[in-house]
Amino acid sequence: MQQIKHLHWRAGFGLSPENWQERQHWSIPQAVDHLFAEADQDQAIKVAIADATEQLPQIFELMKMDKEDRRKDARKMLIVNNSDWIQMMAKGQGSSLKHRMMLFWHGHFACRITQPKLALQQLTVLEQHGLGYFRDLVLGIAKDPAMIRYLNNQQNRKRTPNENFARELMELFTIGRGHYTETDVKEAARAFTGWSSNREGEYVFVKFQHDFGTKNFLGKTGNLDGTDIIDRLLEQKETALFLTRKIYRYFVNEHLDEEKVAFLADQFYQSDYHIGKLMRTIFSSDWFYEPRNMGTQIKSPIVLLAGVLRSLPTEFANPTALRLVQKSLGQVLFNPPNVAGWPGGKNWIDNSTLLLRLNLPVFLLQAADADLSAKADLDTVQKQRRLRTLEAQIDLTVLEKWLGPEQPVQAARKLSEYLLVRPAKIPDLLESELARNGNTRRTLPMMLVGLMSLPEYQLC
Amino acid sequence: MKRRDFLKTSAISSTAALLPAFLQAYTPQRLYRSRAEKILVVVQLSGGNDGLNTIVPYQNDLYYQNRPSLGIAKDEVLKVSDELGFHPAMEGLQSLYDEGLMSIVNSVGYPNPDRSHFRSMDIWHTASGSDEYLSTGWLGRYLDRHCTDCDQPHAALEVDDALSLALKGEKRNGFAMSSPAHLKRMADNRYLKLVADHPHEHEENVAYLYKTLIDTQSSADYLAAQAKVHQSRVNYPTTEFGKDLKQIAELITADTDTHIYYVSLSGFDTHAAQKRQQQRLLQQYSEGMKAFMEDLRQNNLLNDTLVLTFSEFGRRVKQNASGGTDHGTANNLFLMGGNLRQKGFFNAGPDLSRLDAGDLQYQIDFRQVYATVLNDWLNVDAAKVLNGRFTGLPLL
Repeated sequence: MQQIKHLHWRAGFGLSPENWQERQHWSIPQAVDHLFAEADQDQAIKVAIADATEQLPQIFELMKMDKEDRRKDARKMLIVNNSDWIQMMAKGQGSSLKHRMMLFWHGHFACRITQPKLALQQLTVLEQHGLGYFRDLVLGIAKDPAMIRYLNNQQNRKRTPNENFARELMELFTIGRGHYTETDVKEAARAFTGWSSNREGEYVFVKFQHDFGTKNFLGKTGNLDGTDIIDRLLEQKETALFLTRKIYRYFVNEHLDEEKVAFLADQFYQSDYHIGKLMRTIFSSDWFYEPRNMGTQIKSPIVLLAGVLRSLPTEFANPTALRLVQKSLGQVLFNPPNVAGWPGGKNWIDNSTLLLRLNLPVFLLQAADADLSAKADLDTVQKQRRLRTLEAQIDLTVLEKWLGPEQPVQAARKLSEYLLVRPAKIPDLLESELARNGNTRRTLPMMLVGLMSLPEYQLC
Repeated sequence: MKRRDFLKTSAISSTAALLPAFLQAYTPQRLYRSRAEKILVVVQLSGGNDGLNTIVPYQNDLYYQNRPSLGIAKDEVLKVSDELGFHPAMEGLQSLYDEGLMSIVNSVGYPNPDRSHFRSMDIWHTASGSDEYLSTGWLGRYLDRHCTDCDQPHAALEVDDALSLALKGEKRNGFAMSSPAHLKRMADNRYLKLVADHPHEHEENVAYLYKTLIDTQSSADYLAAQAKVHQSRVNYPTTEFGKDLKQIAELITADTDTHIYYVSLSGFDTHAAQKRQQQRLLQQYSEGMKAFMEDLRQNNLLNDTLVLTFSEFGRRVKQNASGGTDHGTANNLFLMGGNLRQKGFFNAGPDLSRLDAGDLQYQIDFRQVYATVLNDWLNVDAAKVLNGRFTGLPLL
């Protein structure tokens, strides 16, 4: 049972109460098959992105607004996109595995995006290739207008090359430091000259800005373009190793097991960098379910939030609430700290983020005074509003139906089994209050708060 | 008389009476404990303060040519040298300048400046080059490795709900609270109260979370008590920033086990209608600092405290079409305290005739200022904290 929980937290955001009742006794192969089948068949995410894109104002409408209004409008829409994505993760709309891979790649190809259209476009790339071939994914990102703008490839022209994208492509996206020279960076930058985007936010290849001369990159000479650079990088086994290390750290354990990594990287390389195959191998391996790997990872704020909302279906009165909580917890979608992404692990935790994490159940379930405020955004003169309470509607019907018939103490045990990947003792305060109060339905919110306030709930 | 001696003789008896019994047991010990480190207060002006309209080169024709409507008229400038003067909203700062409590360092920046707020703020927080990405801040790394008196989680305290990257280290973090009362309320959640005694495993991350929680709860108790030790007698402006500064002054006066404080004032991203917005913010800043320094003076703390004010970048020299200014590069930076070596201007104002594509060129790397603060104020080897050698400046 712990293994099923572990799998679903690492390959998703935990299980909903319904799915938990249904799947807790599944075998691992059965559950893994199901996750991948769901991902294969999934259309919901694609459709949702297309729908959201359709709702954006058309370019001619945008032209009518002044600059400040356009900025405000974009900010508002992006908050909606952000909250929609989290709600999709939470509600299991679309494959959870796919969402989790998208979230991983969003951190890998970290990119600050302020235009909703560009954000949705980039999500499309992550959705399409997140479980497919890494070559398609990285090529999609190299031609992605949000990334092109973020890493200044707009300014990368034959006469005045800009190395930003080329450098990060190597340092952070593929092979990692120490496996290329400064000359390789310069040559790669030349190969990506003219990879640009137009005013409509579409990728364009600007021929007259492109350098068609001979380049020499990682020992290969010729009239190389960006695609050749990517192919040359993928020919290096070091790239498979670099990516596998990162995937291992994110999905298995922050402490690397180099032997396992080498084995996985080899397979990844042999499969032409097929991400889905690599993930399937990981989730199907016995060592993935070793105790040192289960319930030992600090949930990222997004995984935490999506997981809470999955167990407790919640509608927020205001989508900005969800953004404010993200910000206070240190992870806002489409807004990574820099191109290196979110550092993760213990880095998520300081006194303020931990207190907020542990108080979140009280704020949600007991409508306690939250009085939250996030740091001011740097790019606005508007004052940040404080949020007095998290105005939210929580739907407990599924949990009530499941646990209602049980005695409170028994219900709390079942709930603890469901909520915590890292087992923990039920708090004394909760047990004694449950013993005094015989009604499970009435004490359900208290049970949830008591268990979700445990530090163990922060782990998956 | 040394400050600690003063506290020994007079303050203890009165403060002890105010404290709840459970705190009395260990508080006097803290008050007596020797504090080798001095106090550093960092003030962050978020959004990119327009330095040229803060310290105004009122004799410079180029300044007025570039800012036909946004330039501050010569007769409005609060002149403090033959070339430079303060924005008219900053009388408070002018008086600090006159009293020799302020150093102004002009043209501070870094090579290959980044005009994104986020990236540039990142660079200032982590003290990285513009081509490297660090996940720890300069003060966090100071806490990690080189601070000898930092076993308390609140050794470095940010007055805010969330902790800035500047204060995040590898092993140690600074501590954030918007107010002791707010912190205490979060820490006193009845479920969390009992968690401290809850049996738990020794797995690395489980133990880490429990330890952080327990430390936070004990710091919350300590800070709530410390906040009651001393009530300031100075009139602070009633702004958020004024309140934050008052909080800091009261904690410093109470000889709190904290020697780095961090506070921000935000809203400086003045792309449009800059005049009113910057006027309002500079006034808040100036009045706040004036009160804060006065408070320190009354409590004999001016020589123990250094205030460093910075912003992530300055703004472009030329005003834009919306009565504002866009993101720029080099900027001025302020130091305040009773121990300044070079009072007034440290160096000449920016050279407006030698711009880099419309932007000021930096003369001093901000990491030289950090190195100076680390070496000469916090007494550690700056090279180890800054991942590189930066020549210090004769400021302190």
